[in-house]
Amino acid sequence: MKYKKIHILICIGILISTVTIGQHKNQGDRITLVTTQTEFEVGSTVLLQFSSSDTELPLLYCSNSYGSTVITPVLEDLGLYYEIPEFITNKKGIVHWKLIGHESTLGMFTMHPQERVTSMETYIGPPTIEAGAIDYTMLVVIPTDALDNPMPENTSVMVNHRFLETQKRDEVVTNKIIAYKNITSETKSGRLFISSECLETNSKEYTVDVLPAIPTDFTISVDRPHEYADGNQITSLYTSILRDQYGNEVSDGTFVTFFITNKEGNILKTSGTTVQGIATATMIHPDQEEAWSIKAYVQGMAESNRMTIAYQQVIKDVEIAFAKANREIKVGPLKSFMNQMIPDGFHVVLEIYKGDTLLNTETKTSKGGYVSFMLKEEMYISGTYTIKIKTAGIEKSFKNIKL
Amino acid sequence: MKESTNKHLIIALLVGVAFHGTSIFFTLETTYDALIHLFFADHYANSWFEPWNYKWYTGFTVTSYPPLVHQSIGVLSLIGGLKFGLFTVALLSIVLFITGVYRFSLLISANRTVAGYAAILAVFSSSFVETLHIFGQLPSIIGISILMHALPEIYLWLKTGKYRYLFTSLSLIAVTVTSHHVTPIFGMVFFIFPLIGMVIMDVSREHVSSMKEITFKIFLRSFLRLLKRIVGFGVSSLVIIIGCILPYWINSKNNPITQVPIPHGSRDNFLEITSSGLVFFLIPWGLLLVLLPYLFYRYYSKRYLFFGLSFTILFILGTGGTTPIPRMVLGETAFNILTLDRFTLWASIMALPLFGEFVYRFSEGDLKQRIQGRFGSVYHRIIGGVLAGLFIFMTVFTMSLGYFRPSQPQKIKMLPIVNFLNQDDHDQWRFLTLGFGDQMAWLSAQTNALSVDGNYHSARRLPELTTRPIERLENSKYKGVAGIGSLQQFLTTPEKYNLKYIFSNDKFYDPVLYFCGWQRLRQLENGIMVWERLNVPPVPAILPKDEIPKWQKILWGTIPFLTVIIAFMLNIQMLWIRSLKTKIKATPAYLEFKNTYSSFSKNLLKVTHIWSVILGGIVCYGLYVFYLKNDTQRTPENAIIAYYDALDFKEFEKAYALVDPEKELSIAQYMLEISVTDGLLSSYAKLDNITTVITKNSDSLVTAKVSTDWITPLEKIHKEAYRTVVKRNGKWFLQHDDLDTDIPPDQLYASNTTKYFNQGRRRVTTEQTHHEDVLKQPVLEVLSAKLVQYNTHYAIIGEVQNLENVPADIVLKGTLYNDANKELATYNAKDHVKHKLMPKEVSSFRIDFEGIAWSKTKDSIPKAFNPDEFTPVEFEEQPTKFNLQVAGNVAGSDLYKDASLSAIQIDSDKITGTVFNGGVEEITIPQLLVTYYDEEKTLLWVDHLFIKEGIRQQRQQVFEYPMLKEASITVVNDSMEYIFVNGLPNEGISNKIVPDRIQNHTATELQKIVHPNYEYIKIEMNSYIGNPN
Repeated sequence: MKYKKIHILICIGILISTVTIGQHKNQGDRITLVTTQTEFEVGSTVLLQFSSSDTELPLLYCSNSYGSTVITPVLEDLGLYYEIPEFITNKKGIVHWKLIGHESTLGMFTMHPQERVTSMETYIGPPTIEAGAIDYTMLVVIPTDALDNPMPENTSVMVNHRFLETQKRDEVVTNKIIAYKNITSETKSGRLFISSECLETNSKEYTVDVLPAIPTDFTISVDRPHEYADGNQITSLYTSILRDQYGNEVSDGTFVTFFITNKEGNILKTSGTTVQGIATATMIHPDQEEAWSIKAYVQGMAESNRMTIAYQQVIKDVEIAFAKANREIKVGPLKSFMNQMIPDGFHVVLEIYKGDTLLNTETKTSKGGYVSFMLKEEMYISGTYTIKIKTAGIEKSFKNIKL
Repeated sequence: MKESTNKHLIIALLVGVAFHGTSIFFTLETTYDALIHLFFADHYANSWFEPWNYKWYTGFTVTSYPPLVHQSIGVLSLIGGLKFGLFTVALLSIVLFITGVYRFSLLISANRTVAGYAAILAVFSSSFVETLHIFGQLPSIIGISILMHALPEIYLWLKTGKYRYLFTSLSLIAVTVTSHHVTPIFGMVFFIFPLIGMVIMDVSREHVSSMKEITFKIFLRSFLRLLKRIVGFGVSSLVIIIGCILPYWINSKNNPITQVPIPHGSRDNFLEITSSGLVFFLIPWGLLLVLLPYLFYRYYSKRYLFFGLSFTILFILGTGGTTPIPRMVLGETAFNILTLDRFTLWASIMALPLFGEFVYRFSEGDLKQRIQGRFGSVYHRIIGGVLAGLFIFMTVFTMSLGYFRPSQPQKIKMLPIVNFLNQDDHDQWRFLTLGFGDQMAWLSAQTNALSVDGNYHSARRLPELTTRPIERLENSKYKGVAGIGSLQQFLTTPEKYNLKYIFSNDKFYDPVLYFCGWQRLRQLENGIMVWERLNVPPVPAILPKDEIPKWQKILWGTIPFLTVIIAFMLNIQMLWIRSLKTKIKATPAYLEFKNTYSSFSKNLLKVTHIWSVILGGIVCYGLYVFYLKNDTQRTPENAIIAYYDALDFKEFEKAYALVDPEKELSIAQYMLEISVTDGLLSSYAKLDNITTVITKNSDSLVTAKVSTDWITPLEKIHKEAYRTVVKRNGKWFLQHDDLDTDIPPDQLYASNTTKYFNQGRRRVTTEQTHHEDVLKQPVLEVLSAKLVQYNTHYAIIGEVQNLENVPADIVLKGTLYNDANKELATYNAKDHVKHKLMPKEVSSFRIDFEGIAWSKTKDSIPKAFNPDEFTPVEFEEQPTKFNLQVAGNVAGSDLYKDASLSAIQIDSDKITGTVFNGGVEEITIPQLLVTYYDEEKTLLWVDHLFIKEGIRQQRQQVFEYPMLKEASITVVNDSMEYIFVNGLPNEGISNKIVPDRIQNHTATELQKIVHPNYEYIKIEMNSYIGNPN
């Protein structure tokens, strides 16, 4: 800034001095432009020649959109020569000039960009679009010459793009520096390759992914090792391949929620994410007879059929034995569907009531088909209690147990 | 008479430099303060004249601490690095301290041998060892040392009235004040006032023939005669104290410490909190405790009377909260700002001359004769051995404290972190460290990156920090609800502070980071986990700062060193003469008042003996109580407490030793059982409180109701359990609880999941990220959103869906407005949302508007700890409208979605059920998001539950969710008008991507409940994986 101010001050000073000096000498002399060329290519040397009959050396003021400067002439036999500096001749656009002290001597010339493209400034986005011929990505190209001047208006830019098997070539022209093209997706998902070309210069490769649109309705299926409610095995729930309305498999990772309504009308829930369009979810078998009604959703977009599956009761009856003055309660054997001992970890719940008030609930898991509860003296002082054992949906109650 | 070199002083210096000089290399860096001083030094090394530092607390000024020590380290760091500077200054401080004690003792005792003894004792004095090797308070040590050097000069000025002494004393006061501001202020009161008293006594003494003849009248006359000098000195030193660090005082006035006091151990009741008593009373006093009767007796002799008063006050102030006196004397404010340990330090330093005197009299003076005469020489030798042994024991014990009870986490290698911050423009964001201790200062000194935290709490500026009694966010887990609460605010709204990276050295914080929406980036090679938050803008290029005038900057940069140079020039001549004995110099005036050590008081000896016996009794009793408390198997309570303590500190072998041996449980089995239990309670909880109620049955078997309170980073957990404790061979053991015996069906199983990796397309270049690298922000849709008032508490609730084909990390920011469109509050969604959404996944959310807790300092801070504590923002006006900004970013981690709800039971007040983990990772902390609906199935409220136990693969976990109590709930505004996704209107997105959305699609799948306010609920699952495979 400081530099500029000084510059301006000097310019003004020079201006005033030349004007005052010039007014003396400038009566009959007229300096005229000899150079006739008014169109130049950027980067070339621009030399303005003026006729002069005098030894007077007026300064040339010239300016373009980037800035202004004052040029000192060189006096040779044929007249005055002004060499326009590079910072002006490297930029395309109109350059105005004026001879200081000869206010009527003024003019302009035009700098044109080079006819060769050396760089293609390219922007493309968004990098992913949705299949379905609605969503599009936009390619913006700014072809520029070696001196970073944009090409003239209406320079032709070829846009190539390939999607699956089809390859297209479209022509667009630059308009206010840029050339652009909207590339609309098709109904298939896949990868779009895009490049551009201008005056035989090619851009690099750009890619845009066309991703599947939202899923449509699907079906579900179930797979389980057996149909018994043993509280141990795991049921897998699968969807059919999820596709969008154009038949594209949805992206991996799409979240599917399975809602399970059980016999009591309560809602259980599991979820899975798709791999190759199929979502898998797991659920542990219930521990008592059940009828599940299952439906899966991609919320707000798609849903499955409703299917029902039933689990059969495995534990028909529970044997309960009291020992050690009723302080040890042994539950079992808990037998599964082939009369084998139920796998470890089956839940058995003990509830102890004094009169009608629940004193405590203890949950234990089975080991080897048995569960035993110890009623500690320190917790249950001697007296009569009601004891309830709950397991596999079976409830057994023992009233007036003396401890 | 030619003076001979004082051999004791030479020995003290040699031993002192050798002893402390070698050990500082092992202790200083792990002290509390040393690294903070290093950080300040780094500041001066880089910008000497610019006091503004951007690195901590979103900027603070270093004029908040006197600069001399920091500037010295800074200058020296230009030669050999920061640590070279630190150790050099530490060595200097040792030399200054020893010589200071020597000069002070010489002034008091007027006996070179006594002063020599005092210097030697000073080397091993436990308070000095503690201040240097445990606390690392270099400025404080240098301050008090220089002050001690100044005392003889002040004496001479007052006594002789020679201006030379006025200038030397003022020059030394100037150095003191530029090293440490508190020292000269309190030094005035506690050292210089009694010194003035002593001078007056001495002047009076010259008019009479013995000390006894000094009457108050004579004293007053002498005082009036000296008044001019005293006032002259007082005024000029006041000018010096204010003038030398003027920018400090200006800064203190402009930014007064309006913070909530930070608890400090020196304010505790030492009898209650014995660890504070040890560190702030027993250690600094050490052997001096035995000599208390002697110290008081001597200091209350006429000449030292004023020192006696000062010593007594210091002693009492140093007892902190043990007695109510310090609080009364200092007043509430000063009591809560000052750390009272400095009073004990000064008292123990004040005691050193007399300690030297005692040792002199004991080893070669009248006391020796007295003891030998009364009890024989063997007794004298034994007593000498015991005292020396005790003295050295205290020194060694103090030294080892830092080794056995480290105050800092293990030394962290900073290089990987520094490299990480330098990579990829990571230093364009602020960072935060967790679990680094004071080493965070060393990290800050090494990097250009800025931190939101800091380690000099007086300079904190953000109200989020100043309103809380925490020193650093860094160690917030030790600061209870205030700490975690403050940390959670920073974690929830990090974009406010441009906070993007967290370096965690403590697993404890992992859950709160996850549930606040942070994700793990990677583990550095030094074991530090880097956490990252998406959607945080970088720190702006121009940061605000508090500009101070140029003259202040120049003053601050030049005065401290000038004071040193001037003090050096003024004192060098005398130092030279004194130390090299180049010429015979007139004996200083204070050497004329010699004590005669001819006959040690019989009564004093008796009192000392009685006192020693009492002290011994107290120590023995203390040890006995300690033993009773710590003998783990003496009582059932001890056994239970020890067992839970062992579990808390993960000392499983110790816990195993407390398990009933008759059950024949092998340690392998025990460890296995421990290793298979994971979850919030077993992996992230700290035991806060334990109470046991014993119901006795027999002498050998009891049942105890154990109530435990656990602090976790997310919430406080209360547990009650019944444990049976049995007595075997006179020792109590706990009976082991049965373990869940569940065995999953599959031995080996496969699970297919989609994994994501964002590698960008970046070339190996340091250029700014090219636009091609930038991923498209995932498109989200807000399905519903409304502003509701729940009792007195406003929140924005709703549902958001990820419409994209890639997983999204979501950030929800809500702003409330009143009818006049005035912004009232803004906040982000914390843990009531799934922050990571798979393609097409939906999450309910709730944005609470959290205020800065206890922003009115009047609000009493609850004693009880509850990290989940919520302080709703106080609205001056009624919020009526809201704006919701949702931002999505591609997420690639924490996408575990394999938790399912496998059973549910609805009761009127609670929901019980089980969550099943069907995937291949162990869920460390399962979270349930519970959304409440009205009869029209429209959203009313969102609540959540953290399940305390983890869920292993293919297993189930039972949960019990207490349903919300009846409350007044009103929907204030449910307009979807001002909702924006990635800056674009929500409606446009909705119409474009899902034009034919099935409205209320899963409404038929809502769970019916019985509740006065709500008709239906929806339960969603979110899982934190602590150790991803």
